Amino acid sequence: MSPTPIRALVISNGIEGLDSLYQATEKIQYDWVEVTPSFNPTLEGYDLLIVPNGSDHIALYRIKDTIKAYLDAGGALFCFDGWFTDWVPGYRWIMDNSQKSMDVRYKIKDDPYKLSQQFEVEDLNFSHGISGWWACGYIEPISPLGHVLIEDTWGRPLVVIDETTTAGLMVLTASAPAADLSYATTDDGAAEKAMTDLYHALLGLVSLVKQPTHV
Amino acid sequence: MSNPKIGLIFNGVWSQYAFAKASKYRDIYTLLYIHDLEASQLDEVDALVVPFQSNHAAIAAHRDLFYDFLAKGKKIFVEGDGSATWLDARWEDRPVNNYWWVKDPKNPPVSVTDHSHPIYKGLQPRHAFWHYHGVYTQVPEHAQIIQKNVEGDVVTWQTHHFGGTFLVTTLDPIVEHGVQQITHLDNYCDRLTEWLIGVKPEGKFEIIASDYGIAV
Repeated sequence: MSPTPIRALVISNGIEGLDSLYQATEKIQYDWVEVTPSFNPTLEGYDLLIVPNGSDHIALYRIKDTIKAYLDAGGALFCFDGWFTDWVPGYRWIMDNSQKSMDVRYKIKDDPYKLSQQFEVEDLNFSHGISGWWACGYIEPISPLGHVLIEDTWGRPLVVIDETTTAGLMVLTASAPAADLSYATTDDGAAEKAMTDLYHALLGLVSLVKQPTHV
Repeated sequence: MSNPKIGLIFNGVWSQYAFAKASKYRDIYTLLYIHDLEASQLDEVDALVVPFQSNHAAIAAHRDLFYDFLAKGKKIFVEGDGSATWLDARWEDRPVNNYWWVKDPKNPPVSVTDHSHPIYKGLQPRHAFWHYHGVYTQVPEHAQIIQKNVEGDVVTWQTHHFGGTFLVTTLDPIVEHGVQQITHLDNYCDRLTEWLIGVKPEGKFEIIASDYGIAV
């Protein structure tokens, strides 16, 4: 008998190519909600809320209480970079250009779920031999409770998994994309596979630590 | 008299924000959140830019505001993808070639550039093109073509037909400069800014940490 698929809600900012990034499988079903002037989605019934790269962080700030309540009720959140507004409980994202992208390397730091066995972190470093394609800023914990799965050359958190700040699960990445497909970001096969494998490993984590809430 | 300002049509995307808040540009560009946009806000700015990764459906809902702005003789710059819902042109997606300069540097995907345009005048070829996001397969009859790719599709075009100047490109200087991974984009963005309002940005592109983790 197949496991119950994850029911995910993806926030859409109406940008080109976004809908091709996430492909439904037997393991996950995607619903979409568009940001509009009256944006106020219902999150109940979803196992996972996905905030892709290129999302509207003004709109997300305006529903931060709804998201916090969803997480406090045991929901799961994937936020894939760029939250310049303060809507993610316990963590800020900081843009940074003080280091050269050619010097960026990713390292596994703390991996209790053995997720790194499912993707090649080395392949996230380079696209066609050029480093930094997946690098944008870093995560700043306000009061560290989660664990850092991936850090950069300078020890700054790039992927954080948090199960304690709220009653739910938060997976936060400082870099992106993280999805089934890369769209325009890279066409390097190894880099794209590493990114996709990471995303699928994170989906596996949702299935592992969370019981589906929509059944 | 207040300083000239450029309104950056904004749909909450971090790279758009990073550009507009950088020390070099923060006193020149002002963010105009598309879902709160009102006509009175456009009276306060001298030019508009519509960056890559915009919400074109939301922009189309304000279509008349943009053409009224042009009718006043002002300039609008549109970058990245486009939409026939508010542009009199047809944009089509194409694979993005981010790595031609690594794989085949002597054969860039853009083969024609009109360097007589004020933005492109004096720009080195490498500074006038890095990659593009799709092409225009149809542009208005009154459009002047500024850049084409090797297949002959339109990458950059301009028209004065609507009163002011409408410059449209599938390059993405604003968003890529916000991403800060292409190091030469000061050249394009500074010329763009000067062309839009006659102000030449000065200083370095510095990110101010207090602009992040904000309440709005």
